[in-house]
Amino acid sequence: MTEDALWYEAALLVGITNALNVVADGFGSTSSALAPRSEADAPPEVRALFAEVRDFYACQEIPAPFAIMAHDPPYAADVWAALKHAFGDNRLSRRLKEALAFAVSLTSRSAFGTAFHLAEMRRLGVGARGVMEVLGVTQMFSSYTKIADTLQLIPDMADIAPVDWSPAPGGDAR
Amino acid sequence: MATVRLRDPAEYPELAQRLFELSKGWFNHDFKQPAAMSRVMAWDPAFGNPHGRAMKRAMAPGEFTRAEKEMVAAVVSGVNACAY
Repeated sequence: MTEDALWYEAALLVGITNALNVVADGFGSTSSALAPRSEADAPPEVRALFAEVRDFYACQEIPAPFAIMAHDPPYAADVWAALKHAFGDNRLSRRLKEALAFAVSLTSRSAFGTAFHLAEMRRLGVGARGVMEVLGVTQMFSSYTKIADTLQLIPDMADIAPVDWSPAPGGDAR
Repeated sequence: MATVRLRDPAEYPELAQRLFELSKGWFNHDFKQPAAMSRVMAWDPAFGNPHGRAMKRAMAPGEFTRAEKEMVAAVVSGVNACAY
């Protein structure tokens, strides 16, 4: 995991995971403030979006945040495009990405994200042991981080990893 | 600046100093000084030892590799906004 590309990929995933979670947890299934968009009277672009979501997640029910974002179809389409790209197999596997999203959701106390990404991890083949591994790492580093913050420890491990001097995608080496 | 004075390795008992040496192997890095977190954990072995064992068990290769788990640890630290 020494290449920066892997960490860029992980960071973008963390961001979009949190974006999904804030909408899902803020306007969850019990909220009447902004109800999920009904597919029955949705325009074709929303139905197409929902079809892609169903295909990507191999599900029938549209996860709440997508149904809520669908009130603004162009916005929902762009968020979906970013999310689908972030979660797709690339340098990091989709399986690992769901594990990262589960850890992010658990850490940020997202009820939606924790359940959603746990289910996705399992669907993608992560077993009971793997789930406990991610849970354990999440829990232990939620401990270390708070100990470090309480004592305001100065970072002293940043130079363990070598610097990656490769250029940005499509760019020239320096 | 840390809210406590991090003790010099020489101020720790011999057993803790041996653990500092072992931590070089865990991180595969020749630290000039034991990492601050290692020194914090060595302060109270009744806490630090089982906490460290739990961490190593969680981080050991299994369904996910050690490297993948380091990435999980990094995103957890990021979400917790922990600079350390």
